[in-house]
Formats: sequence, C-alpha cells, structure tokens
Amino acid sequence: MRLSRAQLLRLVPGLALAAAAPARAQVTAGTPPGSTANSPNPASSNGDLVYVLNSGEANILVLDGTTREERKRIPVLREVHHLALTPDGNTLMVGDSGANEMLFINPATGELRKREVLSNPYHLGFSPDGRRLVITSLRRDQVDIYGWDGSALTLQKRLSAPDMPSHLAFRPDNAVVYVTLQGNGQLVAISLETLEPLWSMDVGPEPAGVIWHNDRLLIGIMGSDHVAVVDPATQAIERTIAVGRGAHALFPAPKGGPIFVTSRVDSRISLLDPGTLAVTRTLRVPGGPDCISIDPQGRLWVTLRWQGRIAVIDPETGKMEVQRAGRSPHGILYASVAAQRAAATN
Amino acid sequence: MFETLRDGWDQMNGWLFETLVQPLLYAAGLMEWAEDAFEWMDFALFGLLQVLIIYAICRPLEAWMPVEPRSDRRSIRTDVIYTLLTRLGLLPLIAFVAFASMEARVSGLVADSGWVPPTLETLFPILREWPLLALCVYIVVLDFGEYWRHRFQHMFPWWWALHSIHHAQRQMTFWTDDRNHIIDDMIGAVWFGGLALLIGVPPGQFPIVVVILRLAEALSHANVRLNFGALGERLFVSPRFHRLHHGVLGSGESGKNFAVLLPVWDMIFRTGDFERHRYPETGDPELPEALATGGWLHQQWAGLRRMGAALIGRG
Repeated sequence: MRLSRAQLLRLVPGLALAAAAPARAQVTAGTPPGSTANSPNPASSNGDLVYVLNSGEANILVLDGTTREERKRIPVLREVHHLALTPDGNTLMVGDSGANEMLFINPATGELRKREVLSNPYHLGFSPDGRRLVITSLRRDQVDIYGWDGSALTLQKRLSAPDMPSHLAFRPDNAVVYVTLQGNGQLVAISLETLEPLWSMDVGPEPAGVIWHNDRLLIGIMGSDHVAVVDPATQAIERTIAVGRGAHALFPAPKGGPIFVTSRVDSRISLLDPGTLAVTRTLRVPGGPDCISIDPQGRLWVTLRWQGRIAVIDPETGKMEVQRAGRSPHGILYASVAAQRAAATN
Repeated sequence: MFETLRDGWDQMNGWLFETLVQPLLYAAGLMEWAEDAFEWMDFALFGLLQVLIIYAICRPLEAWMPVEPRSDRRSIRTDVIYTLLTRLGLLPLIAFVAFASMEARVSGLVADSGWVPPTLETLFPILREWPLLALCVYIVVLDFGEYWRHRFQHMFPWWWALHSIHHAQRQMTFWTDDRNHIIDDMIGAVWFGGLALLIGVPPGQFPIVVVILRLAEALSHANVRLNFGALGERLFVSPRFHRLHHGVLGSGESGKNFAVLLPVWDMIFRTGDFERHRYPETGDPELPEALATGGWLHQQWAGLRRMGAALIGRG
C-alpha cells in the first residue's frame, strides 16, 4: 500500500494535511543509535542494516541491525516482494512487480541509486557465476533471463512459464535454473546454455520455495505439509519430509548449518539436519512466517506476513522477539557490513 | 496512537486469516491464492469499518437536522439491505481483481514488445515523491469518471431504467447511496475498476479511494438540512446539492448536480445548481410504485424488465 495505515487513518477523518509532506527517504545515519526511549536494544550500532520489503504498503523498511530502530523507509510505487544482492555485494536489487521497476540500492547506506523499468520482477536470483539474473513473474507466467555485466542488465530470453512461476534455484555449475510453478504443481528446469526449457515434472500442489542441496532439489510444497526431495538427474521425488501444513520456503544456514523451512498454515519454522534432512527442531512462529535472513550471530530475521511484523529468533534457544514492520512484509535481508560479499537472495 | 491502531488492525486481520481463512484455502487446495485472499479479507473488514464510520457520522446528523421525518421505515430497511449487500466493496473488488489479472496478461504481452506501460507517477515524477498528492490526483480522475458515468446513467434509456431504482426512493437517507440495480453496480464496478487500472492506481490505494468516494456519496444522500456555504458548495458535494439531484426537477435526462465528490464537473459542464436553500422532496412520481416501495428482489426484477423494455424500444 502506498500509504501507511497511519496516513490512512489521518485521511479518513479529514486530518491529512499534516501528513502531506514529501515521502522522500531521509537517511538518519547520524542519529546516535539506541538514543530513543523506545529502542528495543540499547547496544551500539555496528552499521548493519536490515531491509524489509512491505509488499502491501509500498515501502522498504530499513532497520538498524543492532538496535532494530527504524532508519528510514524507502517509498516504492506498487508491490515489492523479493530482493537479491549483486554478486559483488555492492548493490541490492529489489523488484517492484506491480510497478515494472527494479530498484538499485546501496546496501551499506540504504541510498536509492536508481530505478530501472523492467517487466514485472517478482522473484529474482543471480546464477552462481554472477553472470545471469533470472526473474520470475508470478502474475504474467513468464521467466526472464538477463545477462549481468556488473553494471547493467540485458534481457537475453523471455520464456512463457504457465502457471504462476514462483521461486527459483540454480545448479552450482550455472547450467540450469529450476523454477517452481505454483499454479500447476510443477517444477521446470531451464537450460542457461540454450535458454530453453529442458524438462518439467509434477512435484506436489502449489510448490513454492526451492533450493539446491547436495545434488538434490528441496521444494516446499505449500498445498501440502512437506518438503519434496527431487533428484534432478532422474526427475523423481526420492522422498518427502513432513514439516507442517503450508510448507513454503527453505533457507540454508551458512557453513553447513541447518536448513530452515517455513510453514505458513501451521505457522512454524522447521530445522532440518543438512546431512540427513531429518527434522531436528520445530519453532512455533505465529503470524505466517515467510522469508528468512540469517545474521552473523546465527539469528533468524523472519517476516510474519499476516501480522505485519518481523521476528528475530535465536534458533538455539527458541527465544523470539517481534516488532512491527508494515503491511504484508515479504522479502527480508540482513545486510552485514562485515559479510557483504556473500551474495544473498530472499 | 496511530501506530497502535495500525498494529491492532493488522493483528486482528492476521489472527482471522490464520484461524479461519487460510485453513479453508489449504483444505480447498487454493494456497496459491493465499496472498490475494489476505488482501480481500483486509478489504472486506475495511468495508465493514467503513459502514460503521458512515453510520457514526451520518446518523447523528440526520437525527439533528432532518429535512423530513423518517416516516417510511420499511423503505429504509430495504436500503440497508442494499448497503449490506454492496457496501463491503465486493463488486468493485471483484472487478478490480478480474481486471488486475487481465491487466497482468495484457501488460505481459506489451512487455514482450519491450515497452512497459507508464503509470501516472512515471508520467509526472513529482507524484512519486508526494504519495498523498498522487492519491488526490487519482481521486480527481476517478471522480471525473464517476461524473460521466452518472451522466450516462441518465442519458441512455436502458441505463436510466436501471438507475431509476436509485431515484425512486422517496425516503432518502444515507443508506440510499447503495440502492442500485445489481447490473448497474456491475457496470459501475467495471467502469471504476477499469479506469483505476488505466491510470495505474496502486492496488493498495484502491480501497482508500473507494472509502473516500463512498463516504462522500453516503453523506450526500443523508436526510440532513446541510449546505457547505457559498464556497464550500462549489468545492464538495453537500447533502443539499445532491438532494436537488434526487428531486423531481433534478432527475431524468434533464437532471442537475451529477457530481459525486467535486461539483467542479457540474460547473464545467453547466449542469450545476447552487441555489443553497432548496431541499426538495425526493423520488419520481412517474416511476412504477414497485421501484419506490417494493422489496429488494421486487425492485431488481422490475428494473430488469424496464431495462429489457427500453432495449427493445418499448420503455
């Protein structure tokens, strides 16, 4: 939503004038961290920023990674859902699908560098070699493959991909991208050499998140309660792992840590052992957990889609703290100053 | 305080969605529509809030300064039914969702050509930095569209056959706003939703625009002796301004005061009457009694027959 609820509530009783100031983003980096009475965390800021894409409120919330105070809100035109860091870690790309725009942001400062007209960017991710950016368009049933030379995008191929292309994952050798199709329960493999579809297969109702893991594809089956383990070589489902109804997206922890799986209907995050894929722990997370970003301390920053909040969870202790973010928060990124070279997609 | 209200609203929505709606979607195998369903539920609850706000504002005004006594309560009850059926924004929402899907397809085809359609903000970049100004521009454009839809409702015999249900009410109150034939509502939803998409109204702002126009329309129908003064009458549609439109001299093809929110359109197109002290009786004696005092179903049937007759030249 372009206007926040607060602005709306001012509007309805006719008290909008005071709110009619420009919505230009204001950097408040000079503000001493932890200086307000409402600071959730009095610790000193280390410069890390957290980006929360409020898909229903048309803005990007930028939080201080240490104090969790709001630094700024970057206004966008329509609906921001997903983001990706460029391979060099210097630019954060955020897709505004409804506005046909890609935003280019300095992840270290939150400065909006430029906007670029681009067709319906919903989900996006860079190939491991950083030479290609693949964008899925959920509402337009298309997958766009762009070339990336480090500074500009060039559309190389637009593929029709009915029905409702959603999340994507790459084979580590850069040869194939895999896309889930929520509308028809399929996974499609697309060659990044010929830029043509290779094969597709049924994986379960409403597949969403997909990751490459140990030569297998792990897929969250949102219309069911499990993660499907697919062998792309044989195009067969090897096994399923029950995690909770509405299995949605998967996020592997760095350095061989657990794989976190969100389940929207049962509102939980399941931890999978990276070796056996067995569920080792389940965290109850009310509010429709969706995307996750993992900070250097190993904490999970989670968007709670249906409650307009984010949660910060210590997966070791299960301790969870929540705070308001905006309407329908979706993608999230903890941009660590120290580890900004690690490309991330969310 | 606003932050607390926002958070409370979102918590309530989230709880309802997680407890009631999402499990149903899951059971029905419709989880791919979860995000759209969440938007719809928020919209519907917002519509309910809208009815409460309108009631809280208009009902005390009607009790304080009525133009006429509330003598025909049965007729008012029929109007309440109309409101409950349509006020939640169901029809505009359906039109908007349907158009959004269609628009996405069309835009995809257009995008294939390498050209991405502009929005108002891309045409006028200043609007990007001033979201409230952008909202005002959207409202002005959509209000202009509503003025002309209203003109056409009176201009074309088949359309007037439907719209005359709205004008038949002799006991006009703020509930009368939604007294429309369902076909008329559908046309209106397509008109409004289509125009909103044409100019690129952000989906999130659409409910706000609907709320503002609905509030204005409800107040303009209120049974209240109220004008906004010499200047105010020219800025916003008042109960006095719109009551004249519902008077015998105002309805029909030679009607006056068609504006929904901004009388400027009546000034530009010379259909305005700003005589501030007239509060005529409403209703049209030439219309069938069924349209005035029949129940909801009776009125719908009568309107349909009248439209059919008009289309074959017998109306």
